[in-house]
Amino acid sequence: MPEEKFNFTKAYQEIEGINEWFQGEEMDLDEALRKYERGMELINKCKDRLKESENKFEEIKKKYLVTE
Amino acid sequence: MRINQSLKVEPIIEEKVFTVSEFLDFLNNILKPCKVIVQGEVGEKIDNYPRFTFFRLLDKNGAILQCFTWRDKIESLGMDLESGMEIRVIGYPEIRKDRGELKFQVERIELIGEGILKKQFEILKKKLAALDYFNPSFKKSIPRFCQNIGLITSAYGKGAKKDFLTHLGNFDFQIFFYDVRVEGVLALPEIIEAIKYFNQNFPTIDVLVLTRGGGNWESLQAFNSGEMVKAIFSSKIPIITGIGHEDDETLADLVADLRASTPTHAANILNENWKLASVKIYEFERDFSSLINRIFKNIREKIIFFEKNLTVRIKGEILLKRRGLDDLLRSLNSCFQNYFWKFESLEKEFRRNFLKIKNLIRNQKSKIEEVLENLIKNKNRWKESLEKTLEHQEEKLILSSPHLKLKQGYTITSDEFGKMIKDPSKLKISQEILTKFYKGQILSKIKKIEK
Repeated sequence: MPEEKFNFTKAYQEIEGINEWFQGEEMDLDEALRKYERGMELINKCKDRLKESENKFEEIKKKYLVTE
Repeated sequence: MRINQSLKVEPIIEEKVFTVSEFLDFLNNILKPCKVIVQGEVGEKIDNYPRFTFFRLLDKNGAILQCFTWRDKIESLGMDLESGMEIRVIGYPEIRKDRGELKFQVERIELIGEGILKKQFEILKKKLAALDYFNPSFKKSIPRFCQNIGLITSAYGKGAKKDFLTHLGNFDFQIFFYDVRVEGVLALPEIIEAIKYFNQNFPTIDVLVLTRGGGNWESLQAFNSGEMVKAIFSSKIPIITGIGHEDDETLADLVADLRASTPTHAANILNENWKLASVKIYEFERDFSSLINRIFKNIREKIIFFEKNLTVRIKGEILLKRRGLDDLLRSLNSCFQNYFWKFESLEKEFRRNFLKIKNLIRNQKSKIEEVLENLIKNKNRWKESLEKTLEHQEEKLILSSPHLKLKQGYTITSDEFGKMIKDPSKLKISQEILTKFYKGQILSKIKKIEK
């Protein structure tokens, strides 16, 4: 099965959710470990995505120009 | 052929003879493609009809251009045409065959002069607001992390494109640039076309940025038209506007899903969340690591604590159990002791009772023996007494014997059934009766009865 395309927004939201969960009072160790692993996996993916890279620029070719 | 260039009509060298109609068609075919902009003053005579309007455009030299326009073109201005108004009309010339007059077919009207434009702006703003075009509840939300951006601006303007792109951070944005005029009569149709183009061909694009640099009020006219407001409102893709300077507020800004004050500001809005995430992601990483370490440390401390606490508690438990066992043994002992004592006292009591019973039996036995002795002693006396009683009874019996009575001379009379007669009243005259004597008997008949 091909890996689903990385969605930064969803990943970042999930990280925020995990962070919120960690602020809670009740904490199960197994769950904490699972959340930690998942959080770190997402953080690494987001870090890769955030590495500075040049923007891509494309100009739309128009058809309707009035010039002939 | 480029707009605004002077129209060059090649001389026609043909031998054809036209009818009037054919010639007018021929002329109109040449005239219609010539879209031009004509500026002038609205004349005094304005003929308004429900669906169209005729008016005259004049200049200082007294020249007159007859104009025709559909009603909606005037309505889109937000105000009616008035005599003396300075306007620009965009359209083409046409010779009407029925009248032989040249009429300028107006496709768009632009007002001229800052005063009238501001007035138009206020009227349109009020009108469109009443139609809910600026209602915040209809605004589309801008995605938190935009990646694909549709940029609508001029490639040659006063640096809006450059400002936007320069300030847009390197966050791997994909920018699709659509070059449009941002000023003049063609700005409006081009921008509307660009918005439609993105919606049709790039529907999954995150955001459209419609931007241009600063300019005077007249130069922003395209952004203050009702058509522009409707196009932005209808876009499925959210639109950020960054038009002119900070103080310039256009109708496009009011209807946009988000208004940036300048092209640079629009870029900064798109950068903002990415920049924040670039910092926050490292904070999350640090926090998560320290959190998990803290959890482990807590658990380790708890295990040590439990270990110690458990040993002390187990010792305490054993001591408690031992005490409990001792108590149990003690209570069992005392219980048994009680039973022994009770048993002993019962035994003693039993012995006492046994002796009592023994004595009782002994007494009873001696009494019985005494009675028996008495019985034996009195046996002969009772025998004698009994014999005497018997004799006496026998004598009594003998004396009352009927045989003795007969012997003594008494008789016994009985009826024919042998029943002794004691009372003669129940007898009848002539009834036979039997009379027994000591020796023999007689049968007689009754003659008389005396009572």
